[in-house]
Formats: sequence, C-alpha cells, structure tokens
Amino acid sequence: MLSRTKEDYLETIFHLESEGLAATTQDIANHLKITPASVSENLKKLARDKLINHLPYKGVTLTKKGKTLALDVVRRHRLSERFLVDKLGVKWEEAHDEAHKLEHSISKVVGNKLYEMLGEPKTCPHGNPLPDADGRIKEVPSQPLTSFNKHDHLQIIKITDEEPKLLCYLATLGLMPKTKLQLEEKAPFDGPIMIKVGQATYALGKKIASAIWARKI
Amino acid sequence: MSEIQIQKEIDKLRQSTKFIIALAGNPNVGKSTIFNRLTGLGVVTANYPGKTVELNLGTADFNNQRVGIIDLPGIYSLGSISEDQYVARQELLNGQADVVLVIVDATNLERNLYLVLQLLDYGYPVVVGCNLMDLAVKNNICLDTEKLASALGIPVVPVTATTGEGVDKLIEQCANIATGPITRQARRPAYGKDIMDQIDELASVIEHQLPTRPYRLTAHALAIMLFEEDKDFQALLSKTQNGQNVLEKAKTIFQKLEKTHGEKPSVRLSRERHGLEGTITDAVQKSGICPVTLSTKLWRISLRPLTGLPILLAGMIIVFMIMFYLGSYLSTAFDYTWSQFVSPWIKIAITSLAGNTPVARILLWGFDAGIQAALSVGIPYILTFYLILSFLEDTGYLNSIAFLTDSLMHKLGLHGRSVIPLIAGAGCNVPAIIGTRVLTTRKEKLIACTLITLVPCSARTAIIMGAVAVFVGWQWAIAIYLIDLLVGIIVGRLLAITLPGESSGLVMEMFPFRLPSWRTVAKKTWYRMKEFIIIAIPIIAIGSLVLGFLYESQYLWLVTKPFSLIIEGWLGLPAIAGICLVFGVLRKELALQLLLSLAIIKYGSEVSNLLHFMTRQQIFVFALVTTLYIPCLAAISALVKELNWRAALAISAFTITIAIIVGGVVNQLLSLTGWLAHI
Repeated sequence: MLSRTKEDYLETIFHLESEGLAATTQDIANHLKITPASVSENLKKLARDKLINHLPYKGVTLTKKGKTLALDVVRRHRLSERFLVDKLGVKWEEAHDEAHKLEHSISKVVGNKLYEMLGEPKTCPHGNPLPDADGRIKEVPSQPLTSFNKHDHLQIIKITDEEPKLLCYLATLGLMPKTKLQLEEKAPFDGPIMIKVGQATYALGKKIASAIWARKI
Repeated sequence: MSEIQIQKEIDKLRQSTKFIIALAGNPNVGKSTIFNRLTGLGVVTANYPGKTVELNLGTADFNNQRVGIIDLPGIYSLGSISEDQYVARQELLNGQADVVLVIVDATNLERNLYLVLQLLDYGYPVVVGCNLMDLAVKNNICLDTEKLASALGIPVVPVTATTGEGVDKLIEQCANIATGPITRQARRPAYGKDIMDQIDELASVIEHQLPTRPYRLTAHALAIMLFEEDKDFQALLSKTQNGQNVLEKAKTIFQKLEKTHGEKPSVRLSRERHGLEGTITDAVQKSGICPVTLSTKLWRISLRPLTGLPILLAGMIIVFMIMFYLGSYLSTAFDYTWSQFVSPWIKIAITSLAGNTPVARILLWGFDAGIQAALSVGIPYILTFYLILSFLEDTGYLNSIAFLTDSLMHKLGLHGRSVIPLIAGAGCNVPAIIGTRVLTTRKEKLIACTLITLVPCSARTAIIMGAVAVFVGWQWAIAIYLIDLLVGIIVGRLLAITLPGESSGLVMEMFPFRLPSWRTVAKKTWYRMKEFIIIAIPIIAIGSLVLGFLYESQYLWLVTKPFSLIIEGWLGLPAIAGICLVFGVLRKELALQLLLSLAIIKYGSEVSNLLHFMTRQQIFVFALVTTLYIPCLAAISALVKELNWRAALAISAFTITIAIIVGGVVNQLLSLTGWLAHI
C-alpha cells in the first residue's frame, strides 16, 4: 500500500486533472494546504516512482499507473462517504472530510465487502461516479456530436435523451453506446450533421445530434 | 380505404393466386423497381385506415401460375414507432403472406441484415434478394451470396433490378418455399448464449401461460417482441391474467439483464443483432477501396455548405428554365395541334347539332375553348414539373436539399425532412398535405400544411408561366415566386413563434446520387399525370360550360357585381377576372384557363392572347392573387382530413386575406411607380 501522503497527492492531481486544470505545484499546495516547497519535493518522489509526468513550469499529469492508483483511492473515498452517510448517518456535507481520514485504512478486501454491504452503489452521496474494483471509472469524458469537426472518427459514449422510442429507433439503426462512426459533413447555419456508421450514412438534426455524446478515437 | 376493404382486396388476391409474397426491405434499395418488374400494370394501391402509408398489391406470372405480391413500405426494422413500420408489421402479423421476400442493398449489407434477422427471429419464411449487385461490383465490393445463404440458412439470390437480372430466380426460390414442405420454419439467428437463454426462458413461460397467442405467433416470436419492449404487445398482454404473468416474468428477466449488461433489453437485442450482422458481413463480403465515382463526388459537393447552397440555387434556376422553355414549347405544340386538327371538327360537330344558337356557343365554351385552355396552360407545365420531380426524387437530390435546409426549416418550426412535402407541394398541394402525416407533432403538421398551401403548385406555376412569363416577362414571373417565398417565410416564422408545442428532430438516411432509370421516371410521371387528367379535364369542361352559360345569358355581370369593390377597386382587375378567381377554387389553373377561354371566344381560336383585354399590370396582380389566395377544393378537403374543419377554414380565410392585402399593395405600388405601364 502507498503511503498516506502519496495517496493524497494522487487524489488531488486526479481531481485537478478531471476538472480540466493543469495540476501545478501551486494548485496542489492550495488544495492540500501545505507549502509549495514541500509539494515540489514530494512531486519529485512521485515522478521517480513513475506515477506522474513532471513537466517543468507546466505542471504534472498522472501516468497510467498513477491514474489507476488514484482511482483506487477515489473509490475508497467515495465508498467511505457512502458508508458514513448510509450506515452511520453522518451528514453528507460532513462526510467528505471524515472519509478523507477513513479512506487510507481500507484494504481491497474490506473495500469490496463494503461495496457489497452498501448494495453496490454506482455513485458517492454527491452523485460522482464510483470507480470499480479495477480502478476504472464508468464515466468516460465525452462531448455532443455537434462539437466535433468534419472527418473526426468517433465512438458513441452515451445518449442523453431519455425518450425511449427515440433510443430504440436509434438502436435499430446501430446508433448506441460503443458504436464507432465518422463525422462526414456539417450543414451550414447550425444545421444537421452527416455521419457514417459502417456502410450507412445518416443525417441527424441538431437536436438529436446534441443528445448523442461521443469521444474521439 | 378501410381495413375491411383492404382485407377484401387481399382476399381477392389470395383467391386468384397460387401463393402470396410479401415484399419487404429498407428504403432506397430498389424494392419498388423490383415490384414494378414483377408486376404489370393494374396495381391496386391501398391505405390502412388513418395511415398514409400505402400498400401496393399486384400479381406476377411464374410458370403459368399467378403469384400475388404485397409491397410493404420501406423500413429499417419492424415495430410500432412509425406508421410505415406499423403497417408493414401488421400486414405480416395478419398472416397474409406465404413467404417474405426481403430485398437488401448489396452495397450496404450490414445495416440491411437487421430486418432479415428480425424477420427470422419472428420465425417467418424468408428469401433474400441481394439487389444493386452491379453497383456493388463498381464499388469494389465482392459479395458471396452462397456463403450468405448458408450463414443465414435461407435462400439468397443476387439480382440487379434495373436490368431484371436474377428476378426470375427470385420468384422461383419464393415458390419453393411457399409451396414446399417447409413453412414458417427458419433457422433462428445465433446471438450470444446468455441472451439466447433468457429469450428461451421467457419463451417457455409464454408457451406455458399462453397456449393460444395473438396472431398465431410462436412463443419465441412473442418473447422477442417483449425483448424489443414493444408497447403494443405489452398492452395486448396486460389485458389477461396469464399475459400479466408473462409480463411479470419478463420484468424479472430484464432486471437481471440490465444488471449484468447495464442495458435495456431492446438495446441489448439490437446490439446482438448488429454484432451478428457484422460477423456475417465480414465472413461473406470482401470490400476493396470504393472508387470515388462522379456521382459520389457530385453528391459530396451538393452537401458541402460552400458548394451545396450555390448548387441548390443553380438547381432552382435550371428547374425554372426547364419549366419555362420545355413547358412553353409543349404548350405551343398542344395548342397548335388542338386548334389545327381537333378544334375545327368539334366546331363542325357542335354547329351541325345545335346550329348557331346560344346553346351551341355554350357547348363550344366547354368542349372546345375549355379543353384547349387545359392543353395550353395546365397540362404542359404540370407534366414538365412532374417529370422534374420524379427525376429528382429518384436521384436522391431531395435528401441533399433536406440536409442543407434543415436549420432554415427549424426557424419555421419544421425540420429538414418536411422540405420534401413542401417541394412536392410545388407539384400538387393535395399529396403534399397528406404527406405531412409523417411529421410527428401537431405543431409541425399545422405549420407544414399552412406553408404547403402557399407553395405555388404546378397549376399555379402554369398560371405564372402561362400568363406572367409569356405576356409580362420572365423577371416578373420570378418576382411572384420571390414575393410568395417572402410571404411563406414570414408566415412560417410567425407560426413557429406563436403556436404552442415543440418540433422534433431529424434522422434521415443519406445515399449517394443514383442515375434514375428513365423507365421508372416515366412511369411515375404517368401515374401522377393520369390522376390529373382524369380529375381535371371534366372539371375544366364543366367549369367552362357554367361560365359559358353565365356569359351567354349575361348573368355573368350580375355575379361579379358584389366583388367589384375588391376586384376592380383595390386589386385593379377587370370584373371578369373576379369570376375566374371564384372558379379557380375548383382548380387553380381554371382561373387562367377560363380567362383564356374568354379570350378565345371573344377573339377566335388563333389568338389566345390575354393582352387583348388585360394590361400587363393586371396580369401580374391576377397571377399573384391566384398564387396566394385560398387553396383549391381538393386541397381544402385534404386539410379537413388531415387537420379538421376549423383549421381548414382558418387556413382558407387566412390565405384569402393575405392574397387581398399583398395583391392590393402590389397593385397600388405598381400604379404609383408605373413599372409595368410602358413595357
């Protein structure tokens, strides 16, 4: 198991990264309420362990290994929050700080037991997704189809429209999560987009296209 | 046509034929070309009650046997989401067909297999016709149909509909299945084991709980429909206790499925089907690099904003020019033929029967002048337009227009797909209004119907071309279209803002341009023209007779008097034009044709020249008012049918008001400026 300090660092970098911010020494220092000098000292150690990429003057990013470990901490943190709120009746606005102390002492075995006992929750009490036991987070970053450019190769991540008829119709055309597609054309003046799925080509109105979220591949 | 009538037609087909084939397939795979190849003329078209989607019924001869064919609407899958899906499924459920012939597009096999797999899931005996084999070869796609047949466990026949290659083989395979020992037994598609087990589990519960099932479905088929989360079947089952037990069981199975896969059963099943499609396609098809053909290049260019919009504009100008040149050429030709070769004989016949009495003159109005007017202004332009429309439909360019104009249509409270009924409205408003049934919300329908009545139909184009372009100048003809367009945009925008409700989104398949077969285009044009000629000519003849009677009896001036303030004062038209406008409600082009009859009666058959009794300004205002005012009777009745009486009346009153206001304002403006006074 990692040291408590390392876990705190990884967790912090993960959160900063997922907010789209570069994790600079100053940001991390603010977050952990310690001096920048000691932050840069610890970041060097993390870089040596190949958990982060340290880019001078730009900040740090997690390596693949670092991200897996960070997600594991996040999972334990969010499980602890659930446990505190659901089982012990701790107020949810207080749960975060309490969980921060608890998360470091939960082993993988205890974590899985906790997960089962809590009824396999999908999110923390605040609605953030819970990473699974392998340290994967379900939520994949995605954007609506309309925000991509012509010729982009994409994969559908989720469809946000809740209308079951539309979902069903799109599914029969093969438009569902995991489907790979290519953006072929965008009509002028915020018009529809044209996509290619396999050998078939479809035009999708702006409303439907913005309900389909995808990522670049 | 009611459901009983449609049943009657199908029963008739059943009695006179050996077996019945249901023809199914995705849209744009050449299904109707195959239907046309198989069947001769004498096709019966039938509608389900309250549905626009048509079913074509026809017969074919095979080995001295008559075979009945039901042409189902083009669909991507069976279900109850859209009308065409519903009609196709209902027809299959009613168990009329002995075999289902699915036409698939060889250039787009993967997506097309979805429907095949679904039909196999339902346990129908299926034969697959692989169409567009020639195009597949051109696109470097090598498709092994024998391998496909063995992968699916059903006969697969390669065909090329445009040349007729393989069509006989297709019928032969259908006959083997329909009259052979195997009926309603086909191999089930092999999905993943877990979902197959779950389907079987549900099927065995169905078998046990519901020994007699709706539409004589197999337990497996019904289980599949529940997996598809079909609302119709859920409702049907919830009516009985045993059905509710089945639904209850389905719910627990689906909960389990959702927990393991995190997906709804319908999405899971779709995923399994798409997975299997992919596996099969990979196994039977080898595709090289698809060469970029000229038509694909053109298609791409037509969709790109920078090039597409100018092309659209140029296309409209070309259509306008064809309408003008070909239309007026035909017009002169028809007019000449009639006045030289037919008219003299009619005159002799009528005068020998009735002498030179008022009765004879009235008869001449109807049977000579009336028909000549129809030939010289109605038919030539309407024929030209239908020819162009059928051609554009078959090339696929209308889809490009829908794509480019979607955002504009949204501003009018519609979406791109509704541009197609709007364009069709330029042919005739009636089918266009009926065509708005494909629009989903009431708001969209109301806006689309109102705008369609403002689209100048071919009859109004006949007036614009036949009167304005010929006697005033082509620029002024374009001016009428522009004024009309402006009015349409303002009205659409106002309706979009004021009417409550929402408009829905666009999902439309796009395919590269195809060179249409002239045979199909000609056939389509002929079907549309036939209807026009059968309905229009009698109305024109009768209208002319009535007008002739009013004219000869001097009652005409009495009838026109109440309108004189608006017609003569505000619009500045001759009194006689007012009466023609009233007749125009019967059929729009009648307004001009009657005016022309009047000219012919007055000045003889050689001079069909409006300028003898109307100024250019009057002709312009007259055409403008006819373009905008109240839709013709047929269109009004279509509005009543599609919306209701109130809406139809409101639209009629609304358009009359617009016509009077716009017509008057333009008239006053022209009088003030004198733009049309000295041409």
